[in-house]
Amino acid sequence: MIRYLDQIRAIVWKDLLLEIRSRERIAAMGAFAVLAGILFNFSIDTAIVRPEDVAAGLLWMTLVFGGLLGVGRTFHIEEQDNALLGILTSPVPKDAVFLAKVAANFVLLYAISLLVLGVFALFFRVSLDANVGWVILVLALGSLGFVALATLFAAMSAGTSMGETLLPILVFPLLVPMVVFGAGATGRLLGGRPFSEVDGNVRMLGAFAFAAVWIGAVLFRYVVED
Amino acid sequence: MTNSGVRRGATALTLVGLVGMVALLWMSFFWVSTEVNQGIVQRIFYVHVPAAWTCFLAIGISALCSGVYLWLRDDRLDRAAMCAAEGGLVFATIVITTGPLWGKIAWGTYWTWEPRLTLTLLLWFIFVGYFMVRNATEDPEKGKRFAAVVAIVGALDIPFIHLSVIWFRSLHPQPVVAKPDGPTLPGDMLVTLLFGLLVFTVLFFGLFLFRYALEDVRLRAELRARRTA
Amino acid sequence: MTAPAPAEAPTAGASTGAAVLEARGLVREYGPVLAVDGIDLSLDAGEFLTVFGPNGAGKSSLLGMLAGAMRPTRGEVLVRGTPMSWSDGEWRSRVGIVSHRGFLYGRLTAAENLRFYGRLFGVDDLDHRVTEGLARVRLSERANFQARQLSHGMRQRLSLARALLHDPDVVLLDEPYTGLDPSAAGVLRGVLTELRDGRRTVVMVTHHLKEGLELATRVAIQVAGRFAWEGSTGGIDRGDFERHYHAVVEGGS
Repeated sequence: MIRYLDQIRAIVWKDLLLEIRSRERIAAMGAFAVLAGILFNFSIDTAIVRPEDVAAGLLWMTLVFGGLLGVGRTFHIEEQDNALLGILTSPVPKDAVFLAKVAANFVLLYAISLLVLGVFALFFRVSLDANVGWVILVLALGSLGFVALATLFAAMSAGTSMGETLLPILVFPLLVPMVVFGAGATGRLLGGRPFSEVDGNVRMLGAFAFAAVWIGAVLFRYVVED
Repeated sequence: MTNSGVRRGATALTLVGLVGMVALLWMSFFWVSTEVNQGIVQRIFYVHVPAAWTCFLAIGISALCSGVYLWLRDDRLDRAAMCAAEGGLVFATIVITTGPLWGKIAWGTYWTWEPRLTLTLLLWFIFVGYFMVRNATEDPEKGKRFAAVVAIVGALDIPFIHLSVIWFRSLHPQPVVAKPDGPTLPGDMLVTLLFGLLVFTVLFFGLFLFRYALEDVRLRAELRARRTA
Repeated sequence: MTAPAPAEAPTAGASTGAAVLEARGLVREYGPVLAVDGIDLSLDAGEFLTVFGPNGAGKSSLLGMLAGAMRPTRGEVLVRGTPMSWSDGEWRSRVGIVSHRGFLYGRLTAAENLRFYGRLFGVDDLDHRVTEGLARVRLSERANFQARQLSHGMRQRLSLARALLHDPDVVLLDEPYTGLDPSAAGVLRGVLTELRDGRRTVVMVTHHLKEGLELATRVAIQVAGRFAWEGSTGGIDRGDFERHYHAVVEGGS
């Protein structure tokens, strides 16, 4: 067990260190998030809709697309020198590899989701006074569920001839629950409604994230097997 | 089971299913009474609902076979999973085409985010993903494993999707009329519906077995061609 | 020493009766392509097998299956007489793999690359092992250079240190001489010579005849997924072998 955790820590440390040094994915996702906010601003006719009414939905769409951009590349850093094979031929259990990848991607995506929240608050005058703590929790659960599914299917699409183009086709239908419950809860919380109103959503979001991590850990070995 | 055994079973089930289908159509056009609120168009219900039931049956079978395939690595299980998914894709296509036809007349719009219709549309995309991933690998074994993972994750995600689309729907009340609810259904409608479910299930298994036998023959022909080459 | 399995240190070799590494009827298909078509082999401690063969003979697939990285379509790999399960972590911790692709991360330093793999393998006394490993491939003064700043030859040497960090008793080498400069080839030769200490089993696949013959105790020629010829290196003359190799390869394909 201690060894299992140390193996996970080693992979997470390696992924984050590589990200800190290259800043490839964090820069791409961060720039995407801000630019998406700008584009959304110009796509909304403020005479018809109030930006703060649609902000929650746009926030989640930004997360989904930006997340796909970053998580989709999670196995590219392994491919340059066939390093993934190095990990897979080590004694590390495959589920540990998956959990480590999910953890590293989660750190990345969660950081981005907080950035997106800040950007949207600034651009769309979304008020963060009322429920910011709960919103941050909702974003954490959503990011975790997203990252778990996206990591599993990123490993899969990396093994196909279609590559990343396949990823959205596989992941989007499965992500519907996350978007529905996540955007629903975020919208109400940002609108100043009490947490008790979205309690059920948050539970579902948590159950979804947990199930996604679990099934990913079980099935990952079949995706990376040669 | 031998190939000829499978084919005999397939033929028997398909014949029963086709006869049943004729009977079902007769029942839904001539025997069952017309629903008061929606009128004649409601009769599409006896095809629509059984077709929907069949695609959920299909993803269930596909996921189950996929799971056991990953465990035992018997190619026959993969083939069964693939044939079920193909059947599911066909029946899901029926649902998402008959749904809007009904919707246009009953609700005045081709598409509503009616939970079950939405769910079937997403399921249709899951089946599409299943076949895309299956055909996108150089090593066919890898494609089989990938597809199996898609089927399993898809099947497990369905309860979540179902809950979420219902919840979403409850937030956005539609100007909608009568939703056909099981228990309040008058006797003859219920009988027709149950008969429809039975017919579609039998027909699904018949087509499923045919597809399975065909795949078996195809693989054997391929193998023979490879040997002579 | 490494953490895994110090109890039954694998010095027993042939005396236990079961070979260190054994393959029975290994077959590997990629759809219609038959990469490995029925290979049997049995290796004891102290043996060094070189498998020669042209490109596309299925050598890498054979090695992948021996490493437990690739699942055989049919047949099995036995480790000391016990069938290896595909996800056998214990077995993996005793195998070192050297490939012409280095399994290295360009933005990690040489020492960090080794530390990373050391943690995956659960190596004890890691700092010491890393220093020692770098010295062994003469990269001590480059310990804090990122791998992408190293020359190709240096990266290959680093990759060698990575593969041997956990002191494996089975070493599998996939075309290790490909693209090596003379100094890296010299280091590789030196390290391979050290590996012939009687307690390790080495399998190397290559199409470099000279380097492959040098250290081997046994050789095989693989053509179209099969061992077309197998023998020991005792008394083999290189010139004869080269002629023989070309005859076998051309006859078999």
